[in-house]
This record gives sequence, C-alpha cells and structure tokens, in this order.
Amino acid sequence: MGLEYVRISPGFEKYMPKDYVDLVQYGQFGKEVDVQQLGQFKELVEEHPMCAGCFMAYFIRVFYAALPKPEDTIVIGTAGCARLALSQAAVPFIYGNYGDTNAVASGLKRALNIRFPNKEKDVVVMAGDGGLIDIGFGMTMHSWFRRENFTTIMVDNEVYGNTGGQESGMSPKGVQLKMAPKGKQFEKINAVELAKTAGCVYVAKISPTNPKRIAKTVRRAVLAAREFGPTFIHAYTSCNIEYSIPTEKVLEDARKREKQDFGFYEWMTDEVKEFFEQLERAPQEVKA
Amino acid sequence: MPEQRVIDADELILKTERQRKFITGAQAMAEAVKRANVDIAIAYPITPQSEVMHLVGDIWAQGYLRDYYRAEEEYGAMSAIAGAVRGGARAFSATSGPGLLRGLEAIASWPGHRIPVVLGVLTRVVNAPLSIQPDNVEISYLLNCGMVVLHAENQQDVFDFTLAGFVISEKVDVYIPVAVCTEGFFVTHAKGYVNMTPEDLKLPPRDPYKAPVPPTDCEIPPARIQRDAPVQKSNFMSYLIHAVWQQEIWSSNRRAMKYINHYLGGPIEVVNEDAEVFIVASGCAAAQGREAVRYANMEGLNVGLVKVKSIRPFPEKQIRQVLSNAKAIIVPEHNIVGWLAKEVKACIPNSDAVIGGPRVYGGMTLPVELIMEKVYDAFGIKKSKKVVV
Amino acid sequence: MPAEIVPGPSGYIPTPAVFEEVELSPPGYGLYLGQIVDELTAMREAARAMLTRRNPTIFPGPKILWGWNAHAMEEAKAILELSAEIPNCRIIPMPDYRPKYPKIDPEAEINPNHPNLTILHNKIEACIFVGVHCHYANLSLRMIRAGTNCFTIALCGELGHEDAMVSIRDLTPEKIRRFKEVLIEVREELGIHHSPTPPPENPSLPQEDFQTLSVLDYGEYSYLLLPRKDEQVTDTE
Repeated sequence: MGLEYVRISPGFEKYMPKDYVDLVQYGQFGKEVDVQQLGQFKELVEEHPMCAGCFMAYFIRVFYAALPKPEDTIVIGTAGCARLALSQAAVPFIYGNYGDTNAVASGLKRALNIRFPNKEKDVVVMAGDGGLIDIGFGMTMHSWFRRENFTTIMVDNEVYGNTGGQESGMSPKGVQLKMAPKGKQFEKINAVELAKTAGCVYVAKISPTNPKRIAKTVRRAVLAAREFGPTFIHAYTSCNIEYSIPTEKVLEDARKREKQDFGFYEWMTDEVKEFFEQLERAPQEVKA
Repeated sequence: MPEQRVIDADELILKTERQRKFITGAQAMAEAVKRANVDIAIAYPITPQSEVMHLVGDIWAQGYLRDYYRAEEEYGAMSAIAGAVRGGARAFSATSGPGLLRGLEAIASWPGHRIPVVLGVLTRVVNAPLSIQPDNVEISYLLNCGMVVLHAENQQDVFDFTLAGFVISEKVDVYIPVAVCTEGFFVTHAKGYVNMTPEDLKLPPRDPYKAPVPPTDCEIPPARIQRDAPVQKSNFMSYLIHAVWQQEIWSSNRRAMKYINHYLGGPIEVVNEDAEVFIVASGCAAAQGREAVRYANMEGLNVGLVKVKSIRPFPEKQIRQVLSNAKAIIVPEHNIVGWLAKEVKACIPNSDAVIGGPRVYGGMTLPVELIMEKVYDAFGIKKSKKVVV
Repeated sequence: MPAEIVPGPSGYIPTPAVFEEVELSPPGYGLYLGQIVDELTAMREAARAMLTRRNPTIFPGPKILWGWNAHAMEEAKAILELSAEIPNCRIIPMPDYRPKYPKIDPEAEINPNHPNLTILHNKIEACIFVGVHCHYANLSLRMIRAGTNCFTIALCGELGHEDAMVSIRDLTPEKIRRFKEVLIEVREELGIHHSPTPPPENPSLPQEDFQTLSVLDYGEYSYLLLPRKDEQVTDTE
C-alpha cells in the first residue's frame, strides 16, 4: 500500500498536531530526497533521547534520509542505544528481545513475501555490536547462511553503551572497560569477513564521515537485499561517553579511525555489481 | 494434496462430519495444522517433538503451508515466529522440554507483544541429567507468562485443541498465544482414535487487521507504529503503563474462557458429578484417572473425575463448584513439583482435602493402581499390597 | 455479578474490569457502567455525559486519523459531523502509540503511554475514544479510570471495552451517525440550544517552517550535514 497509510483523513488536517502535518507535507514519503538537503525537509526521526554528540544518532539520521522507500520499510532493533532513536522514527519499528533481530527479521520478511509477493517491502535490522555479534551471533550468522533477503546494519560503538559501558566482542584488544578491568583480552571480531563467508551479497565497512557516502551505502545495501540476498554494513559509530571523546571531537575521531582501521570498504558479488552498474547508469529508468 | 476449501471456523470445528482415524498424537497435531490454513511453520529438532515438525514439513512440501524452515535453535525459531506473526502470517511451531526452556525468553514475550500463534509443547524431562522421557514439569514454566495453556489428554484432544487454538488465539479480545501441551511419547508416539474434520476443508486465512494491535506490514497506520516500544519510567511515560499492559494480557487470558467454552466444550470435563472423592487431573494423567474411576466404580466406590483441559485460564470457579462437596481430592501428575495440585489447592476453600499425588516423573508411567492406592486411602480402606514393578 | 465501572479516580493501581467479572456485550448491545444494556441506552448515556460534563473531547486514533482506506475516511467524516453537534467539543488526536520523546503537548495530542496527562491538563470530564486499536484503548481507559474523574466512552469497531463507562461495539459510519441523531435528541430533551459548530483547530506550537528553512540555520552543526570541499576522505578501496 505504502502512501495511503501516511495520508491524513480529509477534514482532519486541522486537528492533527503540526508535527504530523509537516511529516506528510514536507516529509520523505513518496519522494526521494538528497541527503545533502538534510535539515531542509521534515525528517523521519527528529527528537530522540540519545546522548549529546552521539555519532550513532548522526548515522541514524542519515540512514533514515537515505532509505529508498521509507513508506514500505520496517526497521528492527534490539536492546542498546540505537533503539532510543529508532523508536521515535516515522517508520515502523520492531523492538523484540535481546539479540533476536535477525531471527525476527527472517520471520517477518518471509511473512511479507507470503502476503505481498508482488510488493517491495524492505526489512532493515539496525543493531549494535553486542546485539549482533555477541548475544545474537548465532541468529545473525544463520540469517546470512539461509540467505534471507534483508539488510543488517551494525552500528558498532565498540562497547555496551546502553547498559553502562561493558566490553563487547567488537571492542578493540586491550581496551579497559567494565567487565574487562584488565583490558580486553582478544582481538576485535572481524565482522566483515564473517559476513562475506556467511553468504552476504553486499558488505560494506564505513566510518560515517561523509553523508553522501553513508547514503549511497545504505541505499545499495537495501536495494541489493531486495533482489539478491543478505547485505551487511559495519558502521563505526563511536560512543563519546564510554570512550571519553569530547563532543566537538567526534567527527575528528571518526576521521582518525577511518585512516586507521575503518577505511571505507565495499565488497559485492558480481551479479550485485552488475545490477548497480545498470541501476546507477540509468537512474531515471530504474526506479527504486 | 486435495484442493482445500475455506469454511467458517464454527462450521469446521463444530458442525462438519468427522472421519475416524487411528493415528499418533504427532500425526493428530500435524493433521490439525493441515486444516488450519497455516502460512508458515518454523521447526527445530528435539525429541519427542521432532516427529510433529517432520510431519508439518511434509505437509508444507505437499503444498498445505506457504513456508517452512529449520531454524538455528529454539530462541531463533521462536523469535522468527514472532516476526512472522507481526508480519500478518499465521504461524506454528512445536518444541519439547529443554527446547521450550531455550525458547522461553521469546515465548514468554509473545503475550506482551500480542503474538497470536499456536505452540505445540510435547513434554519431556527437562535436563539434567539428560533424558528424553515424558515428564510435564515444563508446563509449570508456562503458567505465569500470560499465554493460554491447554493440556491434551489424548490424540483426539491434540487435534481439537490445536485446530481450535488458532481460532482462539486470533480472537480480537484474546490475541495471545495458545500452547497445546501433551505428554511426549505417551501421546505423541502412541496411536489412538481421532475423529477429524474433512481434509479438504480449512479455516479462513488470518485477517491481521481484525486485531487489537496493528500488524507491522506498512499497510496500516500509524506509520510510527512502535506497537511495543520499551516503556520505562520516565518523564514521557506513566508509571502505570507497564502495569496496565500486564493487566491487559491477563484480561485477554480470561477472555479466552468464553471461546474455550464454545469450541472445546468448556475448560473442564466432569465424570460422575455426585462423587464423594474426586480425581483432578490433566493430560495423560486424566486418562489414567478415567481408568481409576472405572476401577473404583467396579468396587462400588463413589469416585469422580475432573479433567482440566485449560490450565490458563485456570477454571477456578468451575472447579470450586464441582469440588464443593468432595471429601477428598486426588491429583495425580507426571511431575515432581505438583503444579496442578497447587493450582487446585489455591482455588478451593478446603485445601486440606487435596491429596497431592500420586506423582511420577523422569519418564515413569502412571499405573492406575497407584491412583487406586490414594483412592483407598481417601475412603480409609486398608490394603496391604503396594504397587511394585 | 459484574462490578460497576464508574468514573475514577479509582486509586493507585486500577483493577481491570475483566478481573471484576465485566464481560463484553454481545452483538447489538453495549455496556453502560460495566453492565450489558441495549445499544440505544448506551448511546443515550454517552450523549448525556458528552452534553453535561465539562470539556467534552473526542480522541480519534490512527485508524481514522489516517486515510488508509475508504471506510476510515468515511468514519472520520462521521466523527467530524458528530463533533460539531456537541457544544464546546474538542478534538485531540492520538496519531500513534509510541512513547513520544521528550514529551507530548497535552493540548495538541493524547498518547496511550500517559493519557492522563492530556485529561488532567485540559480538565476533560467526558471523552470518546474512537479509531484506537483495542489494546491501546484498554491501556488508556484503565489509566484514565485510575487517576482522573473522566467519563470514558469507547466507540469500537470490534468488540468493545470493559473499562469504559460506555462501550459501543461493531462501529460503522452509519452507527456514528445514528449516535449523532441520538445525541441531538438528548440535547433537545435537556433544553440545550446549539447550532453545529466544528471544534477549534489543533493548537500545536509553531515549528520549523520548511518552506524557508536552509542549512545555514544549523550554524556550526551544518558541517555534519554538508561536508565542505576537500574535506572528503579519499576512498581507500
């Protein structure tokens, strides 16, 4: 259906809070926005309870602006910081149990395929390093092995931020965090290689320093998941609280990490590459 | 596979002519799924449940279901069920003992998430030490999570409860999951006569818009759906929100009673209403209790049976009424904790009248003679011979 | 015997009406104070409350606020017609169900996670819930009964609501219009003179004007939106 459910019943426009009227009139539904116009249209997520200076919040903001079809997208999250903003967005959001995102997404995507075989319904998991690679590891991997058609985005802040700063499997080796009082004893898990091995058709690693590139990566991951199979984005979204990054230095930190170990990396299967070549060569003809 | 025709739920369950088949409990559950117009089933192996999901897999391969897969483990299976049901599909899964406990975090969240679904629970020992034998202690883990819990005595009950379970769980004023429990092996792997609805008739498909919550399918407002956002005490939430949410789940659980009356002939079955001594039992123990009533009546002892079909909602009023004049109440069970005895004691004024037992567990059978020992005790009859193997 | 479901405040934690034996009415009937009554009686009592209690308000929910199908739009229209017949009536919408951060504007909206805020702020003593999914309506009705003296009326497309003082089930646009007729009748019996007036518009606070907004309005934060030239890190592929 898509657009019909984000249209205000005739006569009720003047009784709706302005927030919602703006969402319909100046929002993203039914149109494609350029991420560089961010701030000049009514965004899908605005006020949220994430910390000041949180880079994950910034990434989420750009993520929503980049969705190819927000009116037919469902986002799934789990315990952690990201859900604080995700639950405030004007896109249906499922908050299940601890680390269950990729299992819930598997069931949901299959149900939508059964019920709407001829409609594009995008399912995107957005969860943290703890949710996807620690507690939800088995379900994350198996959703990839089964080649489920949805996108998984790991917003990696290298810590359990929401529970108060405990070590995660994605924390760098040696870092001293709660539950790692002597420093982390093993290396950061290589999620990107796991994703490739497990059958993802599009894999990207990104430090969100460039909104254009975030948007392009998100868009590619969502479109490839529709057509070919599981896709994965590993995004560095620092925790300025637990890693004591001054608010004004978060972008600087992201750039530093980009040079260090989060250089932009994109990998895709040949057929996905061919698909994007066609799609991006003739953007007017192939509409998302 | 025969072409299946959709028929009204009441017609299918209450009015169609039934055919008698001699089948196992596992087959009975799969046969009910076959007639329930299920969209998706998600399986994970564990003995003795596996047989059920093998058969459901077979009927998917034959075309009765739209989708089926073997999940990574039970937590993944039960979470995927929640995803599929939110997406508007009718779903089914089944599990046993340790598998149930592994999936329990997800299962216990289904009622609060308003997930209408049927879960087969084919009971076995909860490890450790490992055993695959029948024991129904796992049902006690389901009693406090808000779902409807039905306990089937035999293959016929398994068929009836499973088929009606889908209808009950999807009622707008219920909309919580239904667990259909029965004893592994004793029922799942043993054959019994089952009167089944015609194979070419099925329930109407699920209508996810006839619901107390919107499905998550981008077809229904609000777009900001977040139908179960985390609700923690905060300046933007009431201190009451989680409390009234829990109340809503248990209200829904109680509302299920009228449908249990309608489709299953009530939450209890009473044999010999005017008895002096009652056996109150559920599941397989009810079958043995039935035999004990026959033995007792042959000996001229006035013994009756209350078979409890619905453990949640628990038929407190009905049981209290039937037992109002009982001299003694015997509660035989297939577990060590005696969860049914506790339930019965809690709902009658004279809990001293309850004889908690006999109980068998860890895979032991429940000989009728064991129940008879308690019957003799209740009537003050001295017997020197004890039941021994 | 079912309990009498009367306006609160009923106390620190409400007891759900279902726990007190209140049952949903069969088709063709409604509920008034927890008892099954014929639909006309229920409608008359609802009308009386909306006409005689302070600050009568209609709370339309997502099912009719959003024009997702013809039925929804027709019900929305009928509700607007009804609202015009109630003197001093207001419409305060419940556009969605999420706990809204940082807070709602209680004059502009009602939220199922703390409906009492809107009721208390506006001193609403009679209200109609319509187009709200049953689960959220039940949460709200119970919280309102716990903490406020509001007389709640549920116009429900499904089976109705035990916790409302008046519950009408199987709602259709025609039934809303029938209720409107009943309300006019009761209004005349009460000798209240009123000519149809639409409720006042939503008083939500002015927000950004998206027609004139530019990225420069974001001051020093604009660098997060628009990277300057040469700031882009070259690809490392």
